[in-house]
Amino acid sequence: MLRSVFLEATSKRALPATLLAWLVPGAGHFYLRRPGKAVVFMVAIGALFVLGVAMDSRLDVSLGLDDILASLFSVAQMAMGLPYFVARMIGFQGDVKSVTFEYGNTFTAVAGLLNILVVLDAYDTAVGRKP
Amino acid sequence: MTSHPLLASHLLALVTFSVLTSAVFATLLRDDTPSRVRFGLMAFAAFVVSAIVVGWLMYPFPS
Repeated sequence: MLRSVFLEATSKRALPATLLAWLVPGAGHFYLRRPGKAVVFMVAIGALFVLGVAMDSRLDVSLGLDDILASLFSVAQMAMGLPYFVARMIGFQGDVKSVTFEYGNTFTAVAGLLNILVVLDAYDTAVGRKP
Repeated sequence: MTSHPLLASHLLALVTFSVLTSAVFATLLRDDTPSRVRFGLMAFAAFVVSAIVVGWLMYPFPS
């Protein structure tokens, strides 16, 4: 009885925690009252993405089956959430002629991929699988 | 167009990437601070050393 009440209460937090974690890296953990983890995720993943954009990473959306690798790359970047869409709205598009273009691509894609792990961690925390 | 010269340093990019990625992995995969610090340092060292070793292994091959 007590366990089912606990699980019901925690699962109600799962959706907002997961959504917030995707939108802003670390926000899901702030919502779940894990400020230490939240700050690390926000700073580290945020810095990876910002540095990647500063290194002229490609940011255009490429979805489709004609170039699978480009599609996977775009999905990885979109996993970064709001910062990705804000950077695109501001006008950052990357520059293939820049010497740091490939570094930037790596930084922004890895930032998004790490954020997928953070989203899963927020979900696990919300449903009580992790402390 | 090129980025800031500091951003073009291979070594600086490697160290920055390793620090930030190791911090996230350590926070995700360990639950207490001493274990996180130990894991983070190990992951950082693994990133940097493996990149340098692979770099030297590729050195004899033409680009």
